[in-house]
Order: sequence, then C-alpha cells, then structure tokens
Amino acid sequence: MRNKLHKRRDFIERSTLSALAFLKDATFAEEYANCKGFLQSLDPRFKTITFLLFLITAVSLKSAVLIGSLYGVCLTLALLSSIPVAHFLTRTLLFIPLFSLTIVLPTLFSVVTPGEPVWSFHCLGIHGVITRPGLDGALLFVVRIATSVSLIVLLSITTRHSELLKVLRVFGIPQIFVLTVSMCYRYLFLFATMVENIFTAVKSRVGILSHRQHGQQVVAWNIANTWNRTTQMSEEVYMAMLSRGYTGEPRLLSEFQATPKDWVWLVCAVILCAGLFYKGYTL
Amino acid sequence: MHIPDGYLSPETCVLFGTVMIPIWTAASKAVKKTLSVRQVPFLAIGAAFSFVIMMFNVPIPGGSTGHAVGGVLVAVLLGPWAACIAVTVALVIQALLFGDGGITAIGANCFNMAFVLPFSGYYVYKFISSGSQASSGRRVIAAGAGAYVGICMAALCTGIEFGLQPLLYHRANGQALYSPYGLNVAVPTMVLAHLVVFGWVEVIVTALVVKYLQKQNAVFFEGGRS
Repeated sequence: MRNKLHKRRDFIERSTLSALAFLKDATFAEEYANCKGFLQSLDPRFKTITFLLFLITAVSLKSAVLIGSLYGVCLTLALLSSIPVAHFLTRTLLFIPLFSLTIVLPTLFSVVTPGEPVWSFHCLGIHGVITRPGLDGALLFVVRIATSVSLIVLLSITTRHSELLKVLRVFGIPQIFVLTVSMCYRYLFLFATMVENIFTAVKSRVGILSHRQHGQQVVAWNIANTWNRTTQMSEEVYMAMLSRGYTGEPRLLSEFQATPKDWVWLVCAVILCAGLFYKGYTL
Repeated sequence: MHIPDGYLSPETCVLFGTVMIPIWTAASKAVKKTLSVRQVPFLAIGAAFSFVIMMFNVPIPGGSTGHAVGGVLVAVLLGPWAACIAVTVALVIQALLFGDGGITAIGANCFNMAFVLPFSGYYVYKFISSGSQASSGRRVIAAGAGAYVGICMAALCTGIEFGLQPLLYHRANGQALYSPYGLNVAVPTMVLAHLVVFGWVEVIVTALVVKYLQKQNAVFFEGGRS
C-alpha cells in the first residue's frame, strides 16, 4: 500500500519540484548576479564573448591537463566573484558530469577500449582490465564536460538573465528573435508559478488517490488548459504592448558601456586561450 | 535528448550550426508570412509553453515518471515553422541560462529537437489526419503517431551524431576524443530508449492534449497554420 501511495504521489511532486527548481535556479542566479564581484563588474558583452572563447577552447583542446587548467581558472573566477564554492561545485558537478562519468565507465575496460593495461582485478569471477587509452579517454571526456558546464553556469549566475539575453544582439541575431527570447523568459516565471499552483491544487483535491491513468489525464488536461491560457494571454499582452507604444518594430532599452577594465579582461582572456591552444598544439 | 557541451567535436557543432542557419531563416520568413505583428507575443508565449511542457511529469508504468518534449504538440498547434522557432527559443534559454544542453551544441540540439522532431511528427500527423474533421478521433491518433515518430527520429539523429564522433575524432591509438561509443552502441541505445519508454510519454501527452483541446477549443484544428 505504501509503495502504491508513493508511486501515485510521484508525478504531482515531481512536477511541482520541476517548476520550483526553475524558479529557484532563476532566483539564485539573480541573487549572485547582484553581488559585488569581479565577473559581475564586467560588461556582459565582454564577459559573454570571453566565456564563449573559454568554452570553444575547452571543447577544442585534446589534453585533460590543459582543460583542467581552464577549470582552475573557472574556479578562481568563481571565488573572485563571491560565488560560494560548495554551491558552485554542487550545481556544476552533480548532474551532467556525474551522468557523463557513468556513461563513460565501460570505456575504461579493455573490452571496449583495448590498449596498454594499467590495472587488472577479479570480481565475482570476472576478470577486468583497465587500459591506459580507456582511462585517458574517460578523463578527457569528463574533465571537458565538467569545465564546459562550469563555464556556462558561472556565466549565467554572474550575469542578470535579462542582460544575458540582450547580449544576443552582439552576435547579429535579429532583434525580433531577441525580443521573442526576452518575452519568453519573462513568461516562464508566470508559467512555472502556474504549474506549481496547478499541482498544489491537484494534490489538495485528489491527494494521493490518483490512479496512473487518471494522473495522465490530469497532466494532459492541465497542459491543454495552460495552452488555452497561453492564447488568451497573448491577446492581452499584445494590447498591453500597443498601449505602451509598440508599432511592430521592437526596441530594447538600456545600452551596455565598456570600460578599460573590460578591454584588459578581453586581452587577458585571448592571451590565455591562445597560450592554451599553442601548448595543446606543441604537446 | 539535450546534448551537453563536450559530447560533440567543434567541427560537428559548426556543421550543425551552419545547417540550422537556412532553416532558421526559412522559419522566420514562413512565420512572418503566416503570423501577423499581433502574434509576436503569441510566438514568445508559445515558446514559453514549449519550455513549460517539460515541467509536467507524467506517471508511466512501473511507478516512475517522465516528461514530454512537446515539439510535435507545438507543431500541431502552431505549425511546423513556428514550432521550429518556439522550440529554438526554449532551447536557447535552457542552454544559455540554465546550462541544460550545450552552447556549442545548440545547432545540433536545434536540428534534432527544433527541426527533425516537429517536422517529421507534423507531417505524419498531417498524413494520417488529412481530410478528417477538426473534432475527429483520427486527429488524436494522428497526433500520437506523429509524436512517436518525431521523438524517435530525433533520438535516431542524436544517436548518429554521437556514434560518428569516435569514428571521425580519435587519437592514433583509437582513444575517442568526444562521445566514446560508436554507431553500433549509440544508435540502438538512443533509439530503443525512445521506442520503449520516452516515445510513449510523448504519445500520451500529445494525444491526450489534442483530445482535450478538441473538446474545449476545436478552432485550433480548423484550417492550416503555416
């Protein structure tokens, strides 16, 4: 019975948690973006360009040591930007890199990656051999993914999300697309709150007595209902835009201003990446 | 389904980014033609809707839960080109702001989830539902079948992208530089998981939502969009 109840409760709580996780992540990001720190003081355009440069470097390098040094730079930047290291490590290492580590585990063994043996063992009658190419490949894969994820998370939590979306203009992305992305982001908060409210209401009405099939219908009905609200809302939003002077040509407010510090940071980042590429090339 | 940074080589990322540029351009033109200025917020809110679908967890057999991608559902409701833009916007926000899916892999992710998934699913839906009434049960079946085909096709593309990495990018000693499994492992793993589990979540969500919308607001299924 207990098991049954647990199963029935799952989808409601998981949906609520998904919505809450979104709101929590966005709130945390804004909180850190408003702190005083090195990365927060940079112009978002320069910061985004340099982080993309770091990311391309991390994805392109073929040495785990060099990518690891970039990860070290990332951690140092997090420290200089008043980001609690424990929170940062939990956020960046627990999900994707850990998942990637699980995926890559079989490649450690000679059955998948033949080569020079590093360590062999007997377990439950199975003879396992870990090979050098397997170990190197797995290390490179996981370090690269951990570094890439850390760089993007660091960028997103030290920059106000609205500013980060505006930076898309720097890359020549049409203004209408940037406007759509910005508007979409704002409505996500409303929808996430809506999802949370829906499932709190569902829980308060059906409690834990919902059957799986009934649960599927509840979810589908709520998605359909969310869609209906979406269409109604778009009409209201358009009227609100018109009343504020929207003429069909979007204009985004607030311009970025670069300081000498941003240029110095850009030069340093370029030198660092060029140095890593050079080192990688000569290895 | 979201490919993180580091799974694909830079060359693959550039290739898919390049492939997506004409698709995005065509999508923008098609959407401009079919959606009026009035519907700009509709597109933004539609993108938010496609993001939010992933927050709805559906109970599946075995006591577990799963979430749908909703690309085919959005394509059925908005048309495939608008769905392409809506899903792209959702993917950009997920990658840039929440680290879900890679920035360098955005072209590949958009190819799989904003192009292959909605288009293949939509045309299966169109084929099965052609000539049927807006409130016809055939549309529900068509939406379910479209969702299943769409998600499995996207999974197949993802599997091929992963599987090609060790063949194309490896050291002299055979050590893979990116995603480590070849086509013989990556394709069956990705496709089977979606054929057996995730595809059915997509079918349940898409078919049931279409069924409810037919009852509540059948206007969504009258006439063609984009």
